[in-house]
Amino acid sequence: MTADRQEARLRAAFAADEPPARDYVFTAEVMQRVARRRLQISLLMLAPPMLAAMAVLWSVAPTVETVAADLMGGLAPAIAVTTATLFLTLAGLRLLRPRSA
Amino acid sequence: MIAVPAREAELVAQAQAGSAEAFGRLVQERQQAVRAFLRRVCPDRAEADDLAQETFLAAWSQIGRLRPGVSVRTWLCGIAWRKARTWARGRARSARRDREWLDTRAQSFAAAEEDRAAVAKAMAALPLDQRAAVALCLAADWSHAEAAEALGLPLGTIKSHVQRGRAKLMEVLGAQP
Repeated sequence: MTADRQEARLRAAFAADEPPARDYVFTAEVMQRVARRRLQISLLMLAPPMLAAMAVLWSVAPTVETVAADLMGGLAPAIAVTTATLFLTLAGLRLLRPRSA
Repeated sequence: MIAVPAREAELVAQAQAGSAEAFGRLVQERQQAVRAFLRRVCPDRAEADDLAQETFLAAWSQIGRLRPGVSVRTWLCGIAWRKARTWARGRARSARRDREWLDTRAQSFAAAEEDRAAVAKAMAALPLDQRAAVALCLAADWSHAEAAEALGLPLGTIKSHVQRGRAKLMEVLGAQP
């Protein structure tokens, strides 16, 4: 067998194992893994500020609780009247809405 | 250094700025070279494609470090080569299983595919560095310099690896009918 013929057979053998020039399935799989990795990184980056916010809330919780209880006590009648007014207004608008044939 | 096409440099710049679309286009354009290289270095095709995916995932994380003017193909195959070496170290213990699998594969192939099976088997028998040099320079027509850059090996070593690897493959093909 000539060297040229052997060379051609070697090239053909390599070419038979060549992946396609365009492979959308492979690209989609890679991009899916990239998106998953991006999400993981985003979540990891969000974790420290979230933990800091939780710590701040935890430290101020007793003060906030006292202030909220005082405010709610004074504002309860006003909230009840506002809610009732809103409910009646919405119900009235619904009742007076023109109906289609 | 290998010349980088302007379009590729533009895609790299966009990907470095965070464009997933630009990175996707780089994957689409370079997947063939990376997968072909890994398929010739790793005997198991599914394993090679998995390594190729991991290569692109690592490339996405490291793209900010890609210096201007460096060929993406060379850079990606460098990452793929490091992944393949780590994989090969982990698989050293199961090398016998690979050889058995290749034997089975060789027997089950039709006559028209005998060359391919014989070359795949001969490639699997080459030392890993030699196999990688052959995969790039003989199978993918890379220059010796580009292969040396991607594999991180001296130019002279690449040349001798290619010469020896080629001789072994030719010997196998010469023995085939």
